[in-house]
Amino acid sequence: MGRPYLGEFEELVLLTVAVLEGGAYGVAIASELKKRTDRIISLSGVHIALYRLEEKGFVKSVLGGATNERGGRRKRLFNITALGKRTLDEMRDIRNELWTSIPKLSFS
Amino acid sequence: MAKQSGNILPPKWADKLLMTFLPEDLAEELQGDMHEQFEMQVEERGLVIAQWLYAWEVLRFCRPYFLKRKLKTNTNESNLISIFSLIMISNYFTIAWRNIHRNKAFSAINIMGLALGMACSLLILLWIQDELSVDNYHANGKQLYKLRNRQYYDGKIVDGDALPGMIADEMKRQFPEINYAANLTWEEKMTFSVGDKANKELGRWAGEDWFKMFSVPLLGGNPKTALNAPNNIAISRKIAENYFGSAQAAMGKAIRINDKKDYQVTAVFENLPQNTSAKYDFLLNWYDALEKNTWMKSWGNNATFAFIMVRPDANPANLDAKMRYLMRKLVKDMNPKEYDIHFTIQAFNDAYLYSNYENGKQAGGRIEYVRLFGLVGIFLLLIACINFMNLATARSARRSREVGVRKVMGAKRGSLVGQFVGEAVLFTFLALFVAVIMVIIILPGFNTLTGKQISLNINQPSFWLILFGMACLTGVVSGSYPALFLSSLNPVRVLKGALKFGAGARLFRQSLVVFQFVLSMLLIVGTIVVYRQIDYLQTKNLGYDRENLIYIPAEGELGPKYLAFKNEILQKPGIQSVTFIGSIPTRINNGTTGVSWPGKDPNIQIDFSNTNVGYDFAKVMKLKLEGRDFSKAYGTDSVNYLVNESAVKRIGYTDPIGKPLTLWGIEGKIIGVLEDFHFQSLHEPIKPLIVRFTGNIAQRYIMVRTQPGQVKEAINSLESVTKQMNPKFPLTYTFANDEYMKLYMSESIISGLANYFAFIAIFISCLGLFGLSAFMAEQRTKEIGVRKVLGASVLSVVRLLSGDFLKLVLIAIIIAAPLAWYVMSRWMENFSYKVGVEWWVFVLSGIMAIIIALLTVSFQSIKAALLNPVKSLKSE
Repeated sequence: MGRPYLGEFEELVLLTVAVLEGGAYGVAIASELKKRTDRIISLSGVHIALYRLEEKGFVKSVLGGATNERGGRRKRLFNITALGKRTLDEMRDIRNELWTSIPKLSFS
Repeated sequence: MAKQSGNILPPKWADKLLMTFLPEDLAEELQGDMHEQFEMQVEERGLVIAQWLYAWEVLRFCRPYFLKRKLKTNTNESNLISIFSLIMISNYFTIAWRNIHRNKAFSAINIMGLALGMACSLLILLWIQDELSVDNYHANGKQLYKLRNRQYYDGKIVDGDALPGMIADEMKRQFPEINYAANLTWEEKMTFSVGDKANKELGRWAGEDWFKMFSVPLLGGNPKTALNAPNNIAISRKIAENYFGSAQAAMGKAIRINDKKDYQVTAVFENLPQNTSAKYDFLLNWYDALEKNTWMKSWGNNATFAFIMVRPDANPANLDAKMRYLMRKLVKDMNPKEYDIHFTIQAFNDAYLYSNYENGKQAGGRIEYVRLFGLVGIFLLLIACINFMNLATARSARRSREVGVRKVMGAKRGSLVGQFVGEAVLFTFLALFVAVIMVIIILPGFNTLTGKQISLNINQPSFWLILFGMACLTGVVSGSYPALFLSSLNPVRVLKGALKFGAGARLFRQSLVVFQFVLSMLLIVGTIVVYRQIDYLQTKNLGYDRENLIYIPAEGELGPKYLAFKNEILQKPGIQSVTFIGSIPTRINNGTTGVSWPGKDPNIQIDFSNTNVGYDFAKVMKLKLEGRDFSKAYGTDSVNYLVNESAVKRIGYTDPIGKPLTLWGIEGKIIGVLEDFHFQSLHEPIKPLIVRFTGNIAQRYIMVRTQPGQVKEAINSLESVTKQMNPKFPLTYTFANDEYMKLYMSESIISGLANYFAFIAIFISCLGLFGLSAFMAEQRTKEIGVRKVLGASVLSVVRLLSGDFLKLVLIAIIIAAPLAWYVMSRWMENFSYKVGVEWWVFVLSGIMAIIIALLTVSFQSIKAALLNPVKSLKSE
């Protein structure tokens, strides 16, 4: 496979970035994930995943404008890139393929 | 949510901890996220739990990913804006150049001051290098030693380097660790004749080991055989080329000396380097000297220098101990209780610089001057550096905005320090360039003043290395304080325009000024004292009249035909009287203890100076005397003696004339008492002197007293008579006055140098003061304006501005006076006859310093005081 490796947590974060569509930054992603997975999500973990994703070229980021919130500190807003999107699609296709390949046996 | 963010904050310590983990470029967004989450958690779970969670979250940020990233960005960043980056360096240069340009006067003062200081220290450095190199070029230098003796008599210990003639051979015989030993005699002018070419040359006699010991390159001949026979002569390249055309042509040729004896050239040596203390243009074999001066064979006569070369494995301390009592072995009838001589050795490389001994201990010598001038050099450089520091800090008001802007743009302190030190180094290199040009211009004059032949070794890398090191050191020293001061400024305050100098900075600047003036004061006092002493030496009444007195060496036919010569010359115009003397009267250095008289305590040995003279001695010298002079009218005077007052005191006669006196076993009587006169340099007290008569004129100097104001006629008369009576020898003569001045050559050099250096030190200090006062006036423009508006007169403003500096100069004077007194008293100890350091010298120097400082400062303060207050107050 030509593309970089994508871990499970990274995949989740990447998906969340896609879900939040433009409004994705550390805290938003963390709370979204928490809501959806009911796991304990650490902010540092989310950030590391984000920076790694950026290094791998799956997301890109810009610093937002300063607001009165958070003591005037700016947010870094993340967006999914075309590569990121394609990768997600590919992974989904693989999964689907795999799912369809499972013989329907003893579930009943 | 937003409302609460104002008062509810996460724990500070956790926040701080967080910042230590986070890389700087991510800190803002991450901390923002953390705070946002914290606020959410406060709402959801309450403050306490939120705080705990926050802390927990912070700890989880301590991860290798962030730490690694932090480390990486840190190094990246410092690479980007390091002081070594090309862009910044070119910017520093631009700014430095603009600063030099914008303040041309200041820059000129700075560079001139530094250049003067550096030029002087460079000259001093060259001089010191030269002094240290004297005699220090011999390959065997470490094995070479000079022999010295230490005489114990009359309750005194006297060290000397004049030794008995047989000592070199005896040493070689006695001590197996001595490889070679050679005597070296005094310098003597001899007349060389080759064919019909005749000239005077200066040379010595030396032992046959000479060329084996000392690294004098031979152009012809063999060091082992160069001086083996009494008729051998080794000549310098100069003489060889002069008489024979080339070194090769000279080998084996004959030279007739003093029209008496022929010598064969057995070696031609390279002209001696300038840094040689014992000079000679030719060397004759030692045994030739012994043949001519048989008295040197006696162990009781000290006349020659002697050098030894020890084996590489020899222990010099042991050797020194072994030879100490050699004299007792050699002279059996010597009674060590009343008179003792010890031999001792001194490393040859030290002999030139450490030549003085007092009471049997080494007591300096020229090394003291080397140290003194080294100190002066450092002082001058320091004064120049202080100028630079003072002007730079004073002008920091102008540079402070630049510092502020640079800091705001993210300059770190280190890079600012680098910038300012670099600027100072740039300045010093400009100054160095000027200094080197100055040195090149001054060097010829400096050489004539010091009697050296120093040159700039431009083709030697070590020279440039020294220059480079000197410039860097000066730059760093002078740039350090301004750099530290400027880089410490607070950008917010500076950019607001409120630059206040702390008391510390002002105190520092003031103490620098005080320090400068202390040094200047020291130099002024030194100059005055030395000048006065030299003047005293030159004008002192010596007890004889040294004007219109001429010495002529009695060479060739002049000795044997002395009486005819005297008769002849007295007929000629311009001549008043004629006599002869064994040694010229400025240096009667022969001493003897062989004197006795009835009632003398046999246990006390007194050293009597002595010389032999002809008829009319006291008359020619114009000495005051009681009794009578040696005179033809009284028949034979050969057992009659003249003594001086000091001698009478030591002998103890109350009515000395006609009393008996025995010199070297010849009993005679005293016929006259000479009033004490100075027959040695004024470093020495007047010693007891015995003058004896001799009719035998194989003597050394004819003394001629000329008619006052008729020197030219007298010289003409002498020339015509000698040409006729002594055709083989060109006439040579010296004036007593010149001979006398020669005694104080080193003092005159010191005095000359001290004059220049004092002037330069003061000049540099004043440059600094000028700049400083200009700055002060500028700083206080507004204050002066307000004062004038409120009715202050110009005079009172000037007084106000100058008063500050005057105070500093006064403090400097108070500090400098005792220091100067101590130093000058030490120097005066060298003289037995001296003017003393009087109080008014300090007052005079102080007043001079004050006047100079006032003149410098008042220029600026008057300018400031005359300024129209409307102009100075209109802008705020």
